[in-house]
Amino acid sequence: MSGELARAFRHVRIDPGFLWPALVVAIGYYVAARLGFAFTLQPHPISTLWPPNALLMAALLLTPPRSWWVLLAAALPAHLLAELQSGVPLAMVLGWFASNCSEALIGAALVRWCIAAPVRLDSLRSAGLLLLLGGLAAPLASSFLDAALVKLIGFGEGEYWTLVRMRFSSNVLAEITIVPLVLAWAGWRPATVRAMSLARRVEVAALFLGLLTVSLVAFDLPLFGANLAPALWYAPLPFLLWAVVRLGVIGTTSSLAVLVVATIWGAVHGLGPFPGGTPQDTARDLQLFLIAASVPLLLLAVALEERSRAEREAHEQRLQLTHLSRVAMLGEMSGGLAHELNQPLTAILSNAQAAEHLIANKTIDNQELREILRDIISSNQRAGEIIRRLRALFKRGETHLERLDANELVRETLSLAQGDLATRSIAPVLKLAPGALAIHGDRIQLEQVMLNLILNAAEAMAAHTAAERTLTVRSAGNDSWVYVSFADRGPGFAPELIEKLFEPFYTTKPQGLGLGLSISRSIMRAHGGRLWGASHAAHGASFHIALPAVRAG
Amino acid sequence: MPFIAVVDDEESVRKALRRLLRAAGLEAESYASGQEFLEHAAQREPDCVVLDLHMPSMSGRDLLPHIRRLATHPPVVVITAHDTPDNREECLAAGACAYLCKPLEDRLLLNAISAALRVNASRPKR
Repeated sequence: MSGELARAFRHVRIDPGFLWPALVVAIGYYVAARLGFAFTLQPHPISTLWPPNALLMAALLLTPPRSWWVLLAAALPAHLLAELQSGVPLAMVLGWFASNCSEALIGAALVRWCIAAPVRLDSLRSAGLLLLLGGLAAPLASSFLDAALVKLIGFGEGEYWTLVRMRFSSNVLAEITIVPLVLAWAGWRPATVRAMSLARRVEVAALFLGLLTVSLVAFDLPLFGANLAPALWYAPLPFLLWAVVRLGVIGTTSSLAVLVVATIWGAVHGLGPFPGGTPQDTARDLQLFLIAASVPLLLLAVALEERSRAEREAHEQRLQLTHLSRVAMLGEMSGGLAHELNQPLTAILSNAQAAEHLIANKTIDNQELREILRDIISSNQRAGEIIRRLRALFKRGETHLERLDANELVRETLSLAQGDLATRSIAPVLKLAPGALAIHGDRIQLEQVMLNLILNAAEAMAAHTAAERTLTVRSAGNDSWVYVSFADRGPGFAPELIEKLFEPFYTTKPQGLGLGLSISRSIMRAHGGRLWGASHAAHGASFHIALPAVRAG
Repeated sequence: MPFIAVVDDEESVRKALRRLLRAAGLEAESYASGQEFLEHAAQREPDCVVLDLHMPSMSGRDLLPHIRRLATHPPVVVITAHDTPDNREECLAAGACAYLCKPLEDRLLLNAISAALRVNASRPKR
C-alpha cells in the first residue's frame, strides 16, 4: 500500500518557496482558532468572530494558486490540534475544516478572478470587490455548507437557518476586518518606519494610545451604566477618522482591529454597552456595529489613498514635464551656450600661447607671467561656473524651496543666457531695484521661467537690426510682492492672443513646442505667484512675474 | 611694424588677443565695440582688423561696411564663438579676408593676419 502511495505521489513536488508561507499559515491558523474560541460568548455555540477562515483567505490571495493546496494542507494539522482540544467529534472537526477551506477558496478564487494579481487595496474598485466577493459572497456560500454539515452530523443544537445566520455574520465580520488587515500589512516594509519623521511617529503613537484608551474605557471597563450605551458606541469614532485621514489603509485596518478586539473582549467578559440580552442578541448587535463601522471607514481610507496617489502621480508628471521642457529649452540654447563656453576657452588658449611666444622670444618677466596665469585661472573659473549652472539646470530633481534674492536670480539667469543674447547681438538693459528682493522659491524652476521669458523676448526681435534689439529687465518690490519684468522691442502680439499664449501647445514659433509659457505659469502658480503678458503695440511686448515677498529677518 | 586692431566686446578675449599679437611681434590695440573702434580709426587706421562677429548694438557684420569705407581699406579677419555656415558666407561676401572660429589657434590667426596684410599691400590704394 505504501508503495502504491509513493508511486501515486512521485510526481508531486513542493516548491521550497512555499514552505515558509505554509509554516506561517499553520501557526497563524492555530492562533486564530484559539482567538476564535476566546471570542465566543458562552453558552453561545458560535464565536462572535471566527478568524481562521479569513486568515486562510488572505494567505491564498497573497500566493499563487499553484501553492494553495500546500497552504490548505498546512492548515489541517493546525485545525485538528485546535478543534480536538475542545472535545468536538472528529467527523464534525473535519466537516468544519471543509467549510472553512471552502470559504477561503471561494473568496480567493472569486477575488483573483476579478482582480489581477497582486491583490492590493489600492483602488475603490478592488476594495469594493474584495468586500463584496471575499467579505459577503464567500461567507454566504460557506455558511450554508457549514450549517448543513452540522445538521447532517447531528452535532449541537439550533435551527438550520439560525445556524446559517450566526455563521454568516461571524464570518463576514472576520473577512472584512482580517483580510484587509493582512493585505495591508503584507505590503508594509520596515523602511517605511525608518523614513518616518519624529512628528509622524509621535502622531501614530498618540493615535493608537488614544484609541486604545477610549476603547478600553468605553467597552472593557465597568465605568458606565447601560443608559450611556449609544454614546459609548461612538467614542472611538474620532480616533478612527483620524486614522482614516492620516494613516491610510494600513492605519485604518489596524485601528479597526483594535476596536474589534476591544469590543468583543469586553462583551465576552460582560462589559461595555453590548451585553444585556441573550448571547445571540449580544453577538448580533456587536457584529452589526463592527460591520457597519468597518465597511465605510475602510472604503473611505482606500478612496483617500487612491486620490492622494493620483495627486502624487500628477505632481510627478508635472515635474517630469517641467524638466523635459527645461532640457528642450537648453537644447534650443545650445548655440548660445557653446558661444558662452568658447569665450573663456579662447581667453585661456590665447593667453597660454602668448606666454609661449614670450618664452620663445625670451622677453617674458615674472610680473607678466603672473598676470597671464591669473587671467587663465579667472577664465577657467568662469567656464567652470557656466558648466556648474548648466548641470544644475539639466538635473531632474524634487522642488527645493529656499530663500532667494530676485535680483541675484535675474543676474544669474542673464549670465546663462549671455551667449544666446550675444549671438543675437542683444545687450540686456538692467533696471533693478536697489538692494536685495527676498523671495521664497526653487532656484532652478524660477531660473527656468526667467530663461524662457528672455529667450522668447530675444526671438521676438529676430527680424530687427542689432541697434533695435533691446531687452529691458526691471525689478521692483514692496512689502507684499516682488515684481520682475522682461520687455522686448519686438512686434508685440494681438490683444486677443494674450491668454492664448499661456495655453499648452499654442506656439507662434516654427519649431516651438508651445509648452514654455504654460509651464512657466504653472511654476509661478506653484510658488504662489503670477505670470502675465502685455503688448505695447509698436513698443513690443512685456512679460511680468510677481512673487510673494519674504519679509526681512 | 603692422598695426592690428582687435574689436571684441568680451574683455578677457580682448586682453588675451592683444597680448598674443604683441608677443608675436605685432603692434596691437583693442576696442570693446564697433563705435569705439570707429572713433579711434578716424585718427589712425589699422593695417588689419580682427573683428568679433557677435557684439551688442553694432555687430561685427554691421561694422564690416564701415571698415570697407575707411581710406586704407584695412583687411578684416572675422572671429566668432558661434559658427554657422550662413555667417561664414555672409562675412566673406561682405569683404572679410578670413573667418576663424574661437578658440583660436595662434598659428591660424597669425597666418590669416599675415596673408591679409600681404594681400592688402599688393592692392592699389585709393
